[in-house]
Amino acid sequence: MNSNGGVEIANQSMNELSIKEQEADESVQVTCFSEFSDDVTLHFQIIRLHKQIYAWIGCNSAKFGHLYAAAPTRPSNNVSVTSLIGGDSDNTGLGIARRLVLKTGLNIVLACNIPKNSPMLEAKAEKKLMEKLISLGYTMRKI
Amino acid sequence: MAMETSDPLFPVRQTTLCLDIQGNKTDIIVSSYEDHFLVIVTQIGSMGTILHARKEEGVSIDPTFNVAVVFGKRDEPMLAACARKLIEHISNSGSSKALVLSLGLRDHSMGTLKGIVSAVIEKLF
Repeated sequence: MNSNGGVEIANQSMNELSIKEQEADESVQVTCFSEFSDDVTLHFQIIRLHKQIYAWIGCNSAKFGHLYAAAPTRPSNNVSVTSLIGGDSDNTGLGIARRLVLKTGLNIVLACNIPKNSPMLEAKAEKKLMEKLISLGYTMRKI
Repeated sequence: MAMETSDPLFPVRQTTLCLDIQGNKTDIIVSSYEDHFLVIVTQIGSMGTILHARKEEGVSIDPTFNVAVVFGKRDEPMLAACARKLIEHISNSGSSKALVLSLGLRDHSMGTLKGIVSAVIEKLF
């Protein structure tokens, strides 16, 4: 009976597992899903990079929409947010990006084509996206 | 190895690719929206510099393109050149979609950017 051999094999498997975990951590993860309700369909696309998250929210269409970037600002708990494409007079999505970062502590780039003046839709989309980020285990802050 | 990663009912088609460019592990994700292509190229785990490239509809036969950095390094002409090459390719293939290109790179050498352009064009477009 070779118990040493068994321990060696176990150690090797553990090493392989932790390398795979690291690689999985560093690999890109893409999640897509849609939510149908009333007569509105919301599409969500989440791309998780190692240090940043990109998300797209589509309302009934696959248009890209406006693009925003938001991140926590050290040392205080503030959030900085800016619009990158579009979003000058119509800032739907800006608030979503800011609140996502506030609650999750993540560095987020968000594209969103939700029409302006739809606060209910905005709130719904934000809630769904937030829930998904939490369930995927991407968040950094305790919520 | 390129992978299509969305279910056919989702309105945005995506393809991901992981390859080595000049010794750096590079992840490329291309997403196709109704009016835009989004190309994310990263070696550093984040989107890095983000560029927006559009074809301008003009009267003349030859299209003109507008390339602008919307986030990140504004003093790296090679990044803009990369975006221009890609929007040109998109336009030549008959599409009038705009391009959002993100480049999170370890180096901005000609070799790396050429490698990126050829990987994207060859395998994903």
